[in-house]
Amino acid sequence: MQENYLAKWLNDELSEEELAEFKKSGEYASYMRIVQTSKNMVAPEFNVNQAWDSLKTAQSAPETKVLPLNPFKPFLRVAAVIAVLIIGAYFYLGSSDETFTAQLAERTALELPDASAVILNSGTTLSFSKKNWSDNRNVELKGEAFFKVAKGKRFTVSTDIGTVAVLGTQFNVKSRKNFFEVTCYEGLVSVNFNDNEHKLPAGHSFTVLNGEIQSNQDINISISTPSWTRNESTFKSVPLHYVFSELERQFDIEVMIENIDTEILFTGTFNNTDINLALESISTPSQIRYKLETDKVLFYARNTP
Amino acid sequence: MGNVCEEHIFSSIFKTNSKTVFNYIYYKFGNEEKANDAVQEAFVKLWENCAKVPSEKAKSYLYTVANNLYLNVLKAEKVRLKYADQHSKSIDKESPEYILEEKQFQKKLETALNALPENQRTTFLLNRIDGKKYSEIAEMEDVSVKAIEKRMHLALKSLRVKIDGI
Repeated sequence: MQENYLAKWLNDELSEEELAEFKKSGEYASYMRIVQTSKNMVAPEFNVNQAWDSLKTAQSAPETKVLPLNPFKPFLRVAAVIAVLIIGAYFYLGSSDETFTAQLAERTALELPDASAVILNSGTTLSFSKKNWSDNRNVELKGEAFFKVAKGKRFTVSTDIGTVAVLGTQFNVKSRKNFFEVTCYEGLVSVNFNDNEHKLPAGHSFTVLNGEIQSNQDINISISTPSWTRNESTFKSVPLHYVFSELERQFDIEVMIENIDTEILFTGTFNNTDINLALESISTPSQIRYKLETDKVLFYARNTP
Repeated sequence: MGNVCEEHIFSSIFKTNSKTVFNYIYYKFGNEEKANDAVQEAFVKLWENCAKVPSEKAKSYLYTVANNLYLNVLKAEKVRLKYADQHSKSIDKESPEYILEEKQFQKKLETALNALPENQRTTFLLNRIDGKKYSEIAEMEDVSVKAIEKRMHLALKSLRVKIDGI
């Protein structure tokens, strides 16, 4: 007899020999009766239409509660969060400026996105927005810097006192407290001060001291870069206290004064690397004395004991 | 085949399968109320997931849902089955003794059926009452045809031993 022959028999899958053998067995009659009797069994009543109706009423009642039918809800939630992050990041990154600083007693050279070169003098901060740089070349300057501007759209330097605009040239901008000086080394620079525009050809400088424009001064045209880029600080009829401030910036020291009129104008140059040489350069023409200590220097009048 | 989400397709699936789903659960647990609930539950789930269930898979989806509903939750009760009155036409030919004997046999069969393991009873009754082929039962139970044949064989064997022993 093959495997599961009772199931095969019920399905008429037994061979004739198998069937004959099965019929001979004493159990055949019992199996036959089970099969016959079970054929007349019926399951409990099931009303298809009634079940259908109750299914319909069950479906229509809580239809608003069927959340999975709204598959975009979680998606929208995630999308909203992502959108907020992207917009936030765009404005945050877009508005954040690139900032470069030259600490006291150091200089920093940097290149702007359009390959314009900038050298920052000691104690200077320069910032600009990278966003739309090609359309809007604008830098903010606090201190002194020398620019070699690549040809292109209008390039502007904004300072607290005035604004400098150029198309492509080399110039120096010096913006101190109550002191503003622009020197043009090549090309043409336009300086905006108190809503007035001043054209500055090569070899000229524009100086504002205490809010007053000083007469334009010629510089030595043979010099193509400001003296500070060659480690010298040069002054032409500048009150002494600006010279002292520059000294403090270049050597990171503190300047103390005794019995000296700091409004006296100074013309000259000091070295930015050797402090003793620099102090001699300042004190000798001004006829003052100095005493150098670590981190500070005292200037005093010659006739003081 | 159309989409299950279409009302007329869903309705026709209900008309052809709801009775079998009901019987399937009843044979397993012997509880009419739970069998009715299972029909509702299975078809609500099918409707909710109509977009995900292809129509050719709808049938086995229904049995899976119905089966999982009471899996390990419901204890099997006694399955009570009625008998079609097949003797009405020939009743005059049968002696009262025969009718009595027949009634006794039916009772024995019912007792023996309730003593069967749930999967053997379900297979046996789906085949005997609903006329389902082994392959159809195999699809419902998600097992091989051979496994169903084995269940059928064992069911018949147990029933005979039980009935002859009473």
